Amino acid sequence: MIKYTAKRLFQSLLTVLIIATIVFLLMRLLPTDYFFTEDQLMKLTEEQKTEQLQAAGLLDPIGQQLVRFYGQIIRLDFGTSRRIQSGVAVIKVIGSKFAVSMRLGCISLVISLIVGVLLGILQTLFKDRIVDHVGTAYTIFVNAVPSLVSYSLVSYFCAKVLGLPTLYSTRDPVTSSIVPIICLSLASIASYALWTRRYMVDELNKDYIKLARVKGMSSRDIMVKQVFKNAFVPLVQYIPASFLSTIGGSLLMEKLFSVPGMGPLLTDAISRYDTSVVQTLTIIYAALGVLGVFLGDILMMLVDPRIKLTGKGETR
Amino acid sequence: MEKKNKNDLFEFVEYSPEAAERIGYSDYSYWGSVFQNFLKKKSAVVMTIIFFAVVIFSFIALIIGKYDYSALVADSSLAFTKPNGEFWFGTDNLGRDYWCQVWFAAQTSIKLALIVALGECVVGVTIGCLWGYVRWLDRPLTELYNIINNVPMIIYMTLIALLVGQSFTIMAVSLICFGWLTMARNVRNLVLMYRDREYNLASRCLGTPVWRVLTKNILPYLISIIILRLALSIPSTIALESTLSYLGLGLDINTPSLGILLRNARSYFMQYPYLLIFPAVIVSTITITFYLVGNAFSDAADPRNHV
Repeated sequence: MIKYTAKRLFQSLLTVLIIATIVFLLMRLLPTDYFFTEDQLMKLTEEQKTEQLQAAGLLDPIGQQLVRFYGQIIRLDFGTSRRIQSGVAVIKVIGSKFAVSMRLGCISLVISLIVGVLLGILQTLFKDRIVDHVGTAYTIFVNAVPSLVSYSLVSYFCAKVLGLPTLYSTRDPVTSSIVPIICLSLASIASYALWTRRYMVDELNKDYIKLARVKGMSSRDIMVKQVFKNAFVPLVQYIPASFLSTIGGSLLMEKLFSVPGMGPLLTDAISRYDTSVVQTLTIIYAALGVLGVFLGDILMMLVDPRIKLTGKGETR
Repeated sequence: MEKKNKNDLFEFVEYSPEAAERIGYSDYSYWGSVFQNFLKKKSAVVMTIIFFAVVIFSFIALIIGKYDYSALVADSSLAFTKPNGEFWFGTDNLGRDYWCQVWFAAQTSIKLALIVALGECVVGVTIGCLWGYVRWLDRPLTELYNIINNVPMIIYMTLIALLVGQSFTIMAVSLICFGWLTMARNVRNLVLMYRDREYNLASRCLGTPVWRVLTKNILPYLISIIILRLALSIPSTIALESTLSYLGLGLDINTPSLGILLRNARSYFMQYPYLLIFPAVIVSTITITFYLVGNAFSDAADPRNHV
């Protein structure tokens, strides 16, 4: 178990490192103007610019720069932001935005997990009746309609009918984050409901459930003790990944409601050539993604003792 | 008994495609059964009719509309005219006719989605088959998949928008470049399941070339999954296009598309809801019907559901 975890961790680190390298190289495609603030760009002459670039080591061969970049990562030094907030450490720039995204993401995850799983259970209990059809219609709506359209409709509805503010404001973070959280939860509620229902229906058709029925176990006990427990195992695998991706912030949602979160920071940083911010953000996103899959596997193993990832898979 | 030469005992038969395709009872035709199964579902047929009606109407709408898209002029005195006999969907913030903009945008979205879906399908199925079937390709392709999949797509799209430019073609090509991954992954997993079945082993022993094993023995099993992915890919491409265009990373401002329309209308639709409702209803009709039709068709295309 420990050996397996260590091996997986090492592999994950390698993936993150490769991704960091690729982004580093991609960033070198951008013009070197990014080194200067808008103000400096206007005033400095060509020679002064070259001089400063030389001093910062940005005209060295790519290989040398890459080695230096690795050194910085190992020392956890992510450099300073140039454009977004000139001269401020990248960690600080990201940190404040991360907190906002994190708060919204956590609330939305809890809501969507509870509502989604409950909806899935209700759909299974009342299969082929009105609740089931409503749930399915909701899933189809969320999956098929572009999120830009559904978010706009939700925000219009909330503003007109419920009178909620549609733009996030730091002065009133509680009421103004209701609409963003609803939008963030829309899709994940649908996917939790869909998978809960599918796994539970699959489980209901199995032989051991029939046996339990024949032996006279009550419907409620079958549902709670047998079906749900077994159906929850594959579901558990996705929780960490979806949790980590909601923390990362939904780009569209945050842009639409002007939430000062992490999502828009990435595009902002790329289009303003703030390379150190982009590199750090990518490393964070990649690490979150890899970690999500890893934690999912571990969690699944903890929930269901039958699953072993270390074996050669002789049962299958 | 006289001893025969080894060469006389067996002789090679010329490969004949007809003999290779001959099966037990000849009445069965795959696509015939697919359509028969599909037509049995009344709701799916209705959805198909609605989908095609909307698509065809988008062409008619542009012809019968009172304004031509290319000849639109901004006239601020007409801004925010409510829908009426002259402007059927009203006008936008610059006083331009909204009817032709909405239908033009719907067409752009459908066109882009269809091109991207087809491209993804061709690239994804080809690479997915090779990925699953050719053993030594598995490792490098899995690594490639992990790397592309783990860098947020928005980085690629922003870089492309900044370094290459923004246009319909660039958008379509780059969406295909990053979209084939899911399709290839699905196909690969299925190919892995079927590649070592006994009948494939037999085919290989008899010297059937790889491409014929892939196209004749394995691909028919994949059709329903491929169709399902196509059906999911069209709504998601439309969604992605609108998101990217909304963020200013998608199509250029002069190509009307859903994302651009909603981006322009964003600040006004609280006062003028029709700016949101018309494009939302039309695009949702297209994506929802296509999604349902694709699901039904994928069920019908599964050979296991055929009698």
